[in-house]
Amino acid sequence: MWPSFFIVWRESVEALLIIGILYAWAKREQNTHQLNKIWLGGLLGLLLAGALALAILYAGSWYAGSGGEWFLTAMMLVASLLILQMVIWMQRHGRTMKRDLEQAAAAKVAKGSGFGLMLLAALAVGREGSETVVFLAGTIQQAASLSAFIIGAVLGLAGAIITFLLLQAFSHMVPWQWFFRLSAIILLLLGGALLVAASDKVAGQLASWEEIPEWLIYIIYEPLWDSSWLLVDARGSWAGLIGYHAAPSLSQYLPLALYWLCAGLFFIRDGSRMGRKQTQPD
Amino acid sequence: MRQIIFLTSLLCCILSAAVAPAAPLPNYEITITDGKFDPEKIEVPAGQRFKITIKNTGTSPAEFENLSMRVEKVLGPGVQSFVVMHPLKPGSYKFIDEFHLDQPGFEIIVSAQ
Repeated sequence: MWPSFFIVWRESVEALLIIGILYAWAKREQNTHQLNKIWLGGLLGLLLAGALALAILYAGSWYAGSGGEWFLTAMMLVASLLILQMVIWMQRHGRTMKRDLEQAAAAKVAKGSGFGLMLLAALAVGREGSETVVFLAGTIQQAASLSAFIIGAVLGLAGAIITFLLLQAFSHMVPWQWFFRLSAIILLLLGGALLVAASDKVAGQLASWEEIPEWLIYIIYEPLWDSSWLLVDARGSWAGLIGYHAAPSLSQYLPLALYWLCAGLFFIRDGSRMGRKQTQPD
Repeated sequence: MRQIIFLTSLLCCILSAAVAPAAPLPNYEITITDGKFDPEKIEVPAGQRFKITIKNTGTSPAEFENLSMRVEKVLGPGVQSFVVMHPLKPGSYKFIDEFHLDQPGFEIIVSAQ
């Protein structure tokens, strides 16, 4: 029972955090157009997860080969950049959105973000969902007790839904500014982890190239430092969810550093612009 | 312009590396049958790249995994794939089948030369 509970819950956490935060944002702005797009994206994500699960089971050599690797890489890259874009977009429009929405012109701006939201929700669900489907499909054949297995999976799903509801409740308990800041940071952490995972996939593909030059091996594998005395790499840990690696290489943390630099620059620029706007008399 | 120079020099690096003769990587073949690895461990010399070819001979999917070594490979039933391992320091490296955690897993023992 516990393995199936654990797998379902763990694999849903990342998708739930992303979707839950976007959902809370849209809900606070009372933007029904975006809410619908998030739900639609979630549904599309389930379809994507199902399709990928079928690919693992019936087109396994494609999935395990370079075709599947590049496909997953592209999914993670797009999701990670979408998160960055969402957070920046939200930073720009979030504070004034409710007021602007009363004007017809600004409603169009809100609509523009709909497709991105839908795609991000779909990718978040689709990525981890496919492995959950395959794991469950694989385990169900050999579970010692089928009923315990089903209970575990259902409890896992229930745990995931409770997490989602808690997030919604939490979003209303704290002041909007604080919730936005905290959730933007959580999203960026998840987005950074996705970027690290994507560059790992690229590195894995490059490493399988027989004549790989020395300098590339160095970039991919040479650890910058080793913090495994503090925290080891472990699946399902919170540290892993935000892209922590005990002995990261340049290929892992250079993209991550650039990602955070981008996020930081946008925040500083928009922050100062916002400050100027507020001090100028209208 | 600077980008063009950069890209050209990068391409030259790649090409010069590509034409350099290289011996094929040593290959180790293993199978996973519903969580059971065969062989359960291999011994390799330290400081050399090598390749592990994994075939899933079971009826259920498998995920060959060691997170700190950044190996994560999902294999459907009957599917074969490979991973390339970078030069390792002497020691023991443990792999698991993420979909069959009740099984002992797989180990690479790296011995100093």
